[in-house]
Amino acid sequence: MRNVATGIGLLGILLLLVGSYVGLFVAPPERHMGDVQRIMYVHVPTAWIGLLCSTFAMIFAVAYLWTGRNRWDDRLVGALEISVILGGLLLVQGMLWGRVTWGVWWTWDVRLTTSLIMFLLFAGVLALRSFVEEPLRRATWSSVATIIAYVDVPLVYFCVRWFRSLHQMPSSPETVHSSMIIPLRINAFAMLFIAIWLIAWRARIESKSRGAERPPERIEIKGALNG
Amino acid sequence: MAEGPAGVIIGGWPYVITAYSITAVALALNIARLAARERKADREKESDSND
Repeated sequence: MRNVATGIGLLGILLLLVGSYVGLFVAPPERHMGDVQRIMYVHVPTAWIGLLCSTFAMIFAVAYLWTGRNRWDDRLVGALEISVILGGLLLVQGMLWGRVTWGVWWTWDVRLTTSLIMFLLFAGVLALRSFVEEPLRRATWSSVATIIAYVDVPLVYFCVRWFRSLHQMPSSPETVHSSMIIPLRINAFAMLFIAIWLIAWRARIESKSRGAERPPERIEIKGALNG
Repeated sequence: MAEGPAGVIIGGWPYVITAYSITAVALALNIARLAARERKADREKESDSND
């Protein structure tokens, strides 16, 4: 299983290199934005897979609360971490694009604001985990907090339809020229494979760390025996 | 940002290269962090089993 996940990850890295090459050097410049539009080939896949990982995190949180099995908490940590990384990258890439096309690094537009809130909420769940030492309580609290944080995710996606926004509508094959779809799709699959690999890897580490954690009762018994 | 004769934005390459570079560096740092964390978890597990 470990080798399969690593293979998926390496395939993702290879695809990301190919997709980025096509996006940077093969796809034509956009009619109005020129070469800066090439940021889209990494920005849009980051957004898609970031939102997908947030959805994975919510599903793992529900699965943990439903079953109480540690394996779901392990996967939850992995999905939360990659959601925060992709969320942070999404904001930075968007700021670079915004500086060129809108003339500002940041504006309190509804898409940008909900994306920032999503990043802060999931980062907050990770911070909450680090403050709670007791494993059962940590898993339960972070699952509940993840489900609450997830409320913002549909808002991020649909806000450009529901409210007036500077940000363009979600990209789809109907709204993007065919020469631009190929690098978008390659990089989307690349990000997906890398995300799956990193979630599986982080989950494995969490499982190992849990094995090293000793329940308080065991420490007390050992201490009592030594005493 | 400068515009070309037909209203096309020109000179965006530094921003494009920065966006791709930051993405690559963030992913590479996360991979390195996970590798270090796994080594640490393995060491802790090993020392736990030796106790």
